[in-house]
Amino acid sequence: MSHALAAYDPAVDAPAPHHPIYDYDSGPPVERQKFAIWLFLATEIMFFSGLIGAYIVLRSAAANWPDPSERLAVDITAANTFILIMSSWTMVKAVFAAKKGEQGKTARWLLATILIGSAFVGVQVYEYIELYHHGALPHVDIFWSTFYAMTGFHGTHVVVGVIWNIWVLQRVLRGKYTAKNNIGVELAGLYWHFVDLVWVLLFTIVYLF
Amino acid sequence: MSHPDHAVAGHDEHGGATHFSENKVLIYLVVLTALEVGWGLAGKSFGWNRPMLWGGLLFFAFYKGWLIAVYFMHLKFEGWVVKSLILPTPFLVLVIFGYVMPDVADKQTNLIHPVGSKLDPKTGLVVEDMHEHWHKPAADGAGH
Repeated sequence: MSHALAAYDPAVDAPAPHHPIYDYDSGPPVERQKFAIWLFLATEIMFFSGLIGAYIVLRSAAANWPDPSERLAVDITAANTFILIMSSWTMVKAVFAAKKGEQGKTARWLLATILIGSAFVGVQVYEYIELYHHGALPHVDIFWSTFYAMTGFHGTHVVVGVIWNIWVLQRVLRGKYTAKNNIGVELAGLYWHFVDLVWVLLFTIVYLF
Repeated sequence: MSHPDHAVAGHDEHGGATHFSENKVLIYLVVLTALEVGWGLAGKSFGWNRPMLWGGLLFFAFYKGWLIAVYFMHLKFEGWVVKSLILPTPFLVLVIFGYVMPDVADKQTNLIHPVGSKLDPKTGLVVEDMHEHWHKPAADGAGH
């Protein structure tokens, strides 16, 4: 030990104030917030995969399965799918505007996304109310329980997305984002697109299969 | 209609392309959704077999999902870290299906009993079958 101490010469061995090893960032080569949201989205993929997987197993194992088009309003839901896709497009516009530092445009596109997303939720609530009046409740049979589980969890995600977008909008209006610092808008956008992506798959599997 | 790739215009600080024509992607998504709904309705009207009907529907659905992930979510322009976070998930999904599908393939009896049926906990046999009860509403055109 004494030999090691004696061999240590601060003038030679001490790292320079800006030695490269201290400039090394141990984090991943991506913004931490973006890394976190993608990690979260990976868990969300697994969550919805579990729901869809359970649905496929239950449907495959059932002796009979009703034709969804005889129980559900496919035309209305197809229109609702167009609505959600449109909201994804407005969200892309909002993110692009944020990256350019155009706060007015960012706010307008975000507001459009919020309104269109709310319209999607409104149509889904209308659908649920109609089904309720027809006695189609989750406990009636396995078709309805899986239907409500998948569309209900997705609808909840849309509601969370709308609330998230409202929160981001108020920050935009308060000038919290700039052309260089707009990660908050981008994160909300990633979540919103993911919700859209899940619906694209759910619509096919639940309504068209 | 040219591919959205052909409309790449912007570049990030590393010189990589980061911009795309969001309008073209939107048109793709709308057209694909219309084709998908048409495919589903036509398949049921003309009585297509399941592989053809479901195969077409899955093609449209995954193509749309791919467009959203790659362009709207910017996955195409992300680095290896983000891609390596997301790309394994489809394989993990396959693991889930791999574990549960034997349950379906090995069904000697129907796995699904109508809700409310009572089973003997020792033998697993149905003691009280609610099949008829739950199938009454189906006679109204529910499609069972």
